[in-house]
Amino acid sequence: MESDKPTVNGPPTQSFPRTYEFPDPLDPRRGDVDEINEYTDIRSLDPARLYELNQNHLDDSVSSTDSLVTDLAPLTTLRSEYDGGADAFKRQIDYLIDQGYVGIRRSRGDGDCFYRSLAFAYIERIFDQEDRKAAVEATMSTLEGFLPKLREAGFEDLVIDDCYEVPRDLVKGIVDPESVSTNGATLTRTQLLEVFRDDSLSDYMVTFMRMITSAQIRGNPEEFESFLTHPDTGGRIGVVEFCQSVVEVLGKEADHVQLTALSQALKVNLEIAYLDGRGQDGRVEFVAFKHASDENETPLTLIYRPGHYDVLDRRSGE
Amino acid sequence: MSVVYSRRLKKELHEIQIEQADPAKRAAGIQLLQAEDLKTWYFSLEVLGESLYKNEIFHLMVRFDTEYPFKSPAVQFVVSDKVKPPVHPHVYTNGHICASILGDDWSPTLSVMAICITIQSMLASCKKKELPEGNDDYVRTAPDNPKKTRFIYHDDTV
Repeated sequence: MESDKPTVNGPPTQSFPRTYEFPDPLDPRRGDVDEINEYTDIRSLDPARLYELNQNHLDDSVSSTDSLVTDLAPLTTLRSEYDGGADAFKRQIDYLIDQGYVGIRRSRGDGDCFYRSLAFAYIERIFDQEDRKAAVEATMSTLEGFLPKLREAGFEDLVIDDCYEVPRDLVKGIVDPESVSTNGATLTRTQLLEVFRDDSLSDYMVTFMRMITSAQIRGNPEEFESFLTHPDTGGRIGVVEFCQSVVEVLGKEADHVQLTALSQALKVNLEIAYLDGRGQDGRVEFVAFKHASDENETPLTLIYRPGHYDVLDRRSGE
Repeated sequence: MSVVYSRRLKKELHEIQIEQADPAKRAAGIQLLQAEDLKTWYFSLEVLGESLYKNEIFHLMVRFDTEYPFKSPAVQFVVSDKVKPPVHPHVYTNGHICASILGDDWSPTLSVMAICITIQSMLASCKKKELPEGNDDYVRTAPDNPKKTRFIYHDDTV
């Protein structure tokens, strides 16, 4: 670290005058653009304005039409979406129902669906445990135990603290009312859903999952680096660049590497039912990531359809 | 939403103020100039040691909306009578900066200080002072907010 040298031509370092005139970002003279309305000839707009309009339109069309995480619904509702074709998919859905997977909880298709689905299933499963207190303690010990690895991966303490708050309070709140309420009530499944439907709280969950995934990959480069490919070019990519531009960025989809890393770090059994429309007999391939200390521990189960993950459930409704 | 955004920014501001008061913690060459609210902050930035920008001081303007930290802030160099943006292949003369972490590669795991340090190191590693290709065209048509520009990141090494 170099020492601070006296500045030569800069502003005084101690008493910066508050009246210093910065250009006003809101100064209406800066734009000089007439209001755009239905009479505007789009040929009169420069490319930047056109791009802006297009982008606004895009933002509107992908905005919150569907919930970030839905209520549980019968898997038959997914089946009915394949009516009028795609019999291979329908056979596979029937197969899943036969296996006892009668419910689906969907996540919004925004590129974060794997992380959001897994985070939800990871916390919700605590409600299913007979001894919730023990389950909360075990989960907390996994999460707390991982914090030093986040530091080693290079995340700032401030960012770690900020992003850990939401998952910590949620998990603790299942048995400890103090972290989620002022009226002595513990967290309910409905409240868990509400949190996951709140844009920013839900994104904090996704961000924390991405941080864990990234730190797990960064901390074990020898295990992962030969499998890393650039999502756009398909070429090789280094661990740090992969983590920075694919894992840590919201909206970037997860692949086998991220699934492996996150299930390892969370010490869970994860299985993915691949609904790929292949195979004549309707069987569904399950890919298992077994990282729980007990390999027979009930896995978290997600269903994958090309480009998208949702949660599979053995219940068909809340 | 707004609660979350102000909570994060207050934490960051608090941390920056502590660091600024302690030379041992402070990122050398980066100084918070003004942060009167949680909308717009100003920093001064200089590259210490040997670089093409020796003895030059720049000002960064960082603007937040309520989606921070899930969306990047708008970051640009200040252009005024008193300060000019650096002459750099990724910095336009209107102060806009073409850097992937301000756009496609933004992550909520970054912070305002991390942005300042990245931009400082982008200057420190510069080999040749030159304007971006197409600077004049860009500056003529650029939106006020650099976040509305779709930059193409030519070179990941700077």
